[in-house]
Amino acid sequence: MKTLFLKDMRYRQARVVLTALGITVLISLILLLGGIMNGMRIQARQYVESTGADVWISAEGSGGAFIGFSLVVEEYMAFLNAGQGLVPNSASPLIFAQARPNVRGKSTKAIVVGYKLGQLGGPKRAIEGRMFTASNFEDYRPEDPVPYEVVVDEKMGLEIGEQITLGDEKVRVVGKTSSLMFVLDTPLLFMDVRIAQKLLLGNTPHVNMMIAKVNENFPVPEVATQYDEYETIETRTLQQTVGNIIEYYVDEPMKAVQFLRVMLWLAAGILVGMITYVTMLEKTQEIGVLKAIGAANRYVMTLLLKQVALTSAVGVILGLILSYVFAVAAPIFVKIHFAESIIVASISFLVCCGSGYLAARRAITVDPMIAFRGEI
Amino acid sequence: MPAIVEGNGLTKRFGTGDATVVAIDSVDITIEESELVMIMGDSGCGKTTLISLLGCILTPDAGDIRIDGEPVDPTAQDMSVIRREKIGFVFQLFHLLPYLTALENVMIAMDLARTKTEEAESRATELLTQVGLSDRLLHRPAQLSGGEKQRVSFARALANRPKVIFADEPTANLDSRQSDNLMSLIQELRQEHQTTVAIVTHHEGLRKNADRIIQMKDGRIIAE
Repeated sequence: MKTLFLKDMRYRQARVVLTALGITVLISLILLLGGIMNGMRIQARQYVESTGADVWISAEGSGGAFIGFSLVVEEYMAFLNAGQGLVPNSASPLIFAQARPNVRGKSTKAIVVGYKLGQLGGPKRAIEGRMFTASNFEDYRPEDPVPYEVVVDEKMGLEIGEQITLGDEKVRVVGKTSSLMFVLDTPLLFMDVRIAQKLLLGNTPHVNMMIAKVNENFPVPEVATQYDEYETIETRTLQQTVGNIIEYYVDEPMKAVQFLRVMLWLAAGILVGMITYVTMLEKTQEIGVLKAIGAANRYVMTLLLKQVALTSAVGVILGLILSYVFAVAAPIFVKIHFAESIIVASISFLVCCGSGYLAARRAITVDPMIAFRGEI
Repeated sequence: MPAIVEGNGLTKRFGTGDATVVAIDSVDITIEESELVMIMGDSGCGKTTLISLLGCILTPDAGDIRIDGEPVDPTAQDMSVIRREKIGFVFQLFHLLPYLTALENVMIAMDLARTKTEEAESRATELLTQVGLSDRLLHRPAQLSGGEKQRVSFARALANRPKVIFADEPTANLDSRQSDNLMSLIQELRQEHQTTVAIVTHHEGLRKNADRIIQMKDGRIIAE
């Protein structure tokens, strides 16, 4: 009777469905938590890489670009642009600061990126509208003010010409960029570095960092090390900066979530194992009967493992599908890695089958009389 | 008549330490071919344990068992072969698989013995017809009465043409009319299939059906 295991599962369909759903929910939660963190890491990396810079220069002792409050003076630019190893005139000031602009009457979390138009640090063109009006950074004249203009991510849903409030000032949206958000879908507001200084830094001639490109004839790590030796600045490579930003914006704040994720892994393993184990133990009477009428241990074991494998497989596959659906539908960027899904799915499946095997083995090694009395 | 089942010095204990209970205490027993033996005694005297030992669904702590002249060694033999080829079991609580129909519950025993499906279906239908359930072939246990379930259980026990059928309190969950009907059926089936039957019961009214009665008390045989 090749379909015996299916007949049993159909008869106990409520239990089978509940077991599979339990596995589904646990796998989805594990994958989604991982996906949220992956998404944060990707968004953090995306911006840093999108600047096109090779080295990141920040104030000594600040811990690196983007970390904490790191201000450097503009005078360093001349020094960097004349320095060895860097592409001439590639050094560029950058302001990267968290802000809460008022958008359509609602205070919204955002990051203001102030940079020199056409230089490193932000987009060179808009996908809709135009770029903001550029100031003459080296020869800034207060009597000839630059208009408050901003280029926003298209996902913000703002229209060209609309105004947002930053500090006490109205800033007009003049253009849109495509899909460049920071961690947890925090929108980036691109504006002229002078405007950013005025709106966020009290109009002082400081920037958060300088970024520059390394001449292709020089190895980036050596150039970074060379500039890092100056006492007032610290210089980091792209990889170091990405590492720092991920640690500062993702890993540190998400430590609790990481801990939760590890606990969830453990809980999921134990729960899934227990569900399977208890489900198997509840079948000991039936196992006893099958053995009493002549079923060999291998026959019973195969029967039980087929059920465990099928239930687990359904739970695991549904869990994978559900986590990918949730990842797409989530209000923030969630990235589930395929390899991670396969690892989570495989481990969950093995835990289920392992627990089922242990319970079944326990049930089949006792005399049928003991098994069908449930005395194991 | 040759002995079909023999047990010598059978002993079975349950529990450990001070809580140890000797359920069967050095019992010698012989059941001859084609006879209907009833094992009687008060509750807890060891009747069920004894037929469980003889039926190879419980391993004795001491003693030897021979079935159809062959010694039984649980440590060296695959007991499932003996259970499906030589023994049929009928349980007090029927123990039918709830997700199978009456027909499938009988067929499963033959499936375990690798009987071809067509042959198994044909024999299962024949056996269920003999026990008066030809109109209940596709009913699940939940759709059958206690008496009907017990008949399916007997049909399952007979499926592989066993040498001996052990029945543990087969009438315990039946009313007196159903009990009488079942005993008549057992007598008929025994005659027709030439099967030895050992029944455990505390139902005194069934005595008249037995060829031989074994009386037990405190894990020992006290009278035959």
